[in-house]
Amino acid sequence: MNVLFPRTRAELFQTLAEPGARVLAGGTDLLVRLRSGRETAAALVSLDKIPELRGISETGGEGLGRGLRLGATTTHTELLAHPLVRARLPMLAQALSELGSPPIRNMGTLGGNTCTASPAGDTLPPLMALGAEVELASARPHGAGTRRLPLAEFITGPGRTALAPGEVLAAVHVPLPGAGWMQHFEKVGRRNALAVAVVSLAALLRTERGGTVAEARLAWGSVGPTVWRCPEAEAVLVGRRLSLTALGEAAAVVRAHVKPMDDVRASADYRRTVAGNLLLRLVAL
Amino acid sequence: MISRPAPRPRADALSKATGTERYALDQAPAESLWAGAYRPGAALGLAHAQVLGLDEASVRAALAVPGVLRVLTAADVPGTNRQGIIHKDQPVLCGEVIRHMGDPVALVLAESAPALRHALALLRADLRPLPAVFDPEQALKKGAPLLHPEHKGGNLLLGARIEKGNAREALKNAPVVLRGEFSTPVQEHAFLEPQGGFAQITPDGLLDMTVSTQAPFRDRFEIGHALGLNPLHIRVRAPYLGGGFGGKDGSTAQCLLGLAALHAKGRPVRLAWDREESILAGYKRHAVRLRYTVGAEKDGTLLALSCRLVYDTGAYAHLGGEVMELGMEHAAGPYRIPHVRIEGRCVYTNNPIAGAFRGFGVAQTCPAFEGMLDALAAKLCLDPLALRRKNALRRGDENPCGVRLSSSVHLVECLDTLAAHPLWTTRRDWRAAAPPFTRRGVGLAAVFNGMGYGRGLPDMAIAKVEFTEAGEFLVYNAVADMGQGNAAAFALLAAQELNQQAGAIQLIQPDTERCHPSGSSSAGRTTYTYGNALLKACGAMRRKLISRAAMPLLADELDSLELIPGAVRHIPTGRVVPLKLLAGYLTHDDRVCVAEFLMPVAQNPPNTGRDFLIGFPHLIFAHAAHLARIEVDELTGRVRVCDYLAVTDGGKVLDRCCFDQQAQGGAAQGLGYALTEDFQLREGRILTGDLSTYLLPTALDVPDVLSLAAEGDEETGPHGLKGVGEVGINGPGPALAAALEDATGTRPHQLPYTPERVLALLGARGSSRKRRRA
Ligand SMILES: Cc1cc2nc3c(=O)[nH]c(=O)nc-3n(C[C@H](O)[C@H](O)[C@H](O)COP(=O)(O)OP(=O)(O)OC[C@H]3O[C@@H](n4cnc5c(N)ncnc54)[C@H](O)[C@@H]3O)c2cc1C
Repeated sequence: MNVLFPRTRAELFQTLAEPGARVLAGGTDLLVRLRSGRETAAALVSLDKIPELRGISETGGEGLGRGLRLGATTTHTELLAHPLVRARLPMLAQALSELGSPPIRNMGTLGGNTCTASPAGDTLPPLMALGAEVELASARPHGAGTRRLPLAEFITGPGRTALAPGEVLAAVHVPLPGAGWMQHFEKVGRRNALAVAVVSLAALLRTERGGTVAEARLAWGSVGPTVWRCPEAEAVLVGRRLSLTALGEAAAVVRAHVKPMDDVRASADYRRTVAGNLLLRLVAL
Repeated sequence: MISRPAPRPRADALSKATGTERYALDQAPAESLWAGAYRPGAALGLAHAQVLGLDEASVRAALAVPGVLRVLTAADVPGTNRQGIIHKDQPVLCGEVIRHMGDPVALVLAESAPALRHALALLRADLRPLPAVFDPEQALKKGAPLLHPEHKGGNLLLGARIEKGNAREALKNAPVVLRGEFSTPVQEHAFLEPQGGFAQITPDGLLDMTVSTQAPFRDRFEIGHALGLNPLHIRVRAPYLGGGFGGKDGSTAQCLLGLAALHAKGRPVRLAWDREESILAGYKRHAVRLRYTVGAEKDGTLLALSCRLVYDTGAYAHLGGEVMELGMEHAAGPYRIPHVRIEGRCVYTNNPIAGAFRGFGVAQTCPAFEGMLDALAAKLCLDPLALRRKNALRRGDENPCGVRLSSSVHLVECLDTLAAHPLWTTRRDWRAAAPPFTRRGVGLAAVFNGMGYGRGLPDMAIAKVEFTEAGEFLVYNAVADMGQGNAAAFALLAAQELNQQAGAIQLIQPDTERCHPSGSSSAGRTTYTYGNALLKACGAMRRKLISRAAMPLLADELDSLELIPGAVRHIPTGRVVPLKLLAGYLTHDDRVCVAEFLMPVAQNPPNTGRDFLIGFPHLIFAHAAHLARIEVDELTGRVRVCDYLAVTDGGKVLDRCCFDQQAQGGAAQGLGYALTEDFQLREGRILTGDLSTYLLPTALDVPDVLSLAAEGDEETGPHGLKGVGEVGINGPGPALAAALEDATGTRPHQLPYTPERVLALLGARGSSRKRRRA
């Protein structure tokens, strides 16, 4: 199989137009699927040599304030090493630090994790809670060649995205939460590395003086076809302190609403129980 | 603290660390053909089916793929087409029936890997489903589908009993009687190097194979029987293995590979299982169900034990009967019990094939007998360690099978070492300091593992050492080194016995043409049996060199000469003859010493266990006491192993580094068995068919395992050692169960202890929130 290394955007879109061409980033998802025969490709188009797809830059504020543009081919290791990611996006850093293993994090990219759109993709619950947006690029003439979408709209189902044919993910834009926001991420897997999440929870909370919750954004991984949100549980927390009673009530709401699946890693019952239980950990925040 | 000498690097350390050591397949000539098996059951979801044949159009399509040479079926197999170590019941290629989803019905030969893959993807088999059975107890019921209709016992491969005293009567009268049921799962060996090798028919008609195998000498007979070849016209070479753990004891890919070579017109041919095929077709640890009744005095003295064990051997016997034998022999634990009745049934089902696995049938019984001991301790409010110490076997005792233990037994010392260790003495404070949402627990286990083949199958090795023309020494290792370090141990033993620098000893790995039959790399026997033979051979070599040096040194008394590094020295005068020079004086025949050793067996064996063909009873055992300190997360049921201590009685320690590696590796593999490795089967289909779903513990899941030696002296062993390869895997199952019971208040009776099961244990003792608030 051919692996092509375009060096410019123009070359990229040209090569991608070949029939059967597939985008290759770190290959940690794609090569597994190609080996198993579940997917095929006539040629692989590597994003490796296109500088503007890689790297992290600060952007002007909107929504929650300033933000970061995370280039799609930035590896998990590079993201983890970035001071702003560590300091301002600890929930994302936590998710990245538990993703795969060091070799996987050296190869795997944020764009790959996003485009794979796995219900268990570890970066997705934090990105969703943070209100991330995706920047998509295509061959269309300037201006029209780039569009932005909320991540929640980009991921349309398990393994499905709103990427149009010939389009690539250029970057993920993440607003930086201001002061007063607390971040938490927890992944439950069957072992401590190289584990697909059985349940994960990303929680972003803004509290007011006295510790009352003003805003809560909760996002779960691996309990549904895509990242799962539960506005009903968020509503339980708003206006209250993060006591075990309040969190226990929210957990009960979660268990009543969540509709997880059985698979070889865990039963639906376990996922339901744990999806609720994980909220109790917020008492320590 | 025990003082430790600085670790000496193993003989194989550098070549393995730098990647220059070559596994079998790495040595295949570039021009080798590729062979691969077609296993249709998994794709069709059939575990039991009549083979009507290969779809002819699909065979034509496969043969039309450029580079595809042959599609072989059962009709192309000369000989009996039956492989197996003792019971020959497994077809090399199935021509009539497939009995599990991994059974092969065709073998393809091709010029390249892609051509082979393409052909395998095109083949279609005509299979007619047969009723199947997946539960060993169902398989014993009347009317259950039979896997081997010609087998006299139906689906019962072997039923057996070990009896001592009168357990029934003793249990009736015992002041305390407890019952318990346990189950243990299938375990996958998951060695780094999957099964495979390469082979060629030489111009003089010899089948020359280089394979990843634990039993090169015996393989010849298994292959010869299956393929109708003279076993002595088969040469098997066994370079270092990338792991074996029992899974390469007996033919894995060998018979298929031999068959491929027979049809390759003299060309070399290679056969390599990938990970998925390794899991689908490889041998596994037997899943076992165990039902126990134990009787004791009020002070905890054990009076009687009776148990019934059911081993699921899957579609073929492999070593099922022998695995169950060893499990039964250990089923009552390392304790003094006067009245014992152990019943075992080893049963055919349409599940994957079970066979040998480190801790050979024993690892399955340890969680059960140790579970019963902890239940007894709880019932009688006794300290679990004191209860074990009170009942522990000592030298001279009669063990539960009626064998008088004349060998070394240091279980009590293991327990005492554990009892004195800070990880044990500080357990209460440690437990009480649990962080929020966390329960801490501490558990221990006493375990053991027999060494050698047992009575009825001579456990022999024949060592050969050559004094080379260059004046160095060449040890002909004849027992495969699957990574456990026996070859390095042999180099060390030879260096010590010949008083030479380690670098003066070269090693040859097993080769049936150059080495002498010395049995399999298994049963904790490797270093013990071959090591003893090697010490004899090296002793003879030392005496020989001294006597051959007498003439050049003009010494008329041999006592005045000694072998020193690189030379023989005349002690009174200090004159030396260099070994290099001495070598020139000796003919080739004179430069070789060969010696054998036969492992001693139990004298006056008890009059029980008559159902076992071979292997009962054993005389020499390694023992161990293990301690685990764990944290259980109340919200998720996840278990973290914080500390792990293994105290091992393996006789004298020859090489501390290899000794610790066995204890640590065994504990790590046992932790996988206890916690993360969750082999799932549904109707014979493996749901965990690769290493993303079958989860081995990673470096982050295993703590630094602290290994201590309760050093004794096994007088019959080479420099006093016993085999320690297996005992380490037996501890984590029961130690983790005990720690979980300590943490949650409820004991798990089913391995592995998954987060889901652990969360249920927490639930079993009332809401976790209540306790947290308290
Ligand atoms: C052993 C192992 C362990 C793993 N563990 C984890 C884990 O713990 N958590 C987790 O979330 N994931 C895990 N993964 C999955 C994988 O590593 C991650 O999803 C990773 O982020 C994928 O990135 P990649 O660059 O390797 O993607 P690739 O494999 O290169 O691509 C994945 C898919 O996205 C497409 N794609 C990639 N980049 C773009 C782009 N910029 N524009 C358009 N399409 C694109 C590709 O065409 C392909 O379809 C694991 C994988 C392996 C092999």
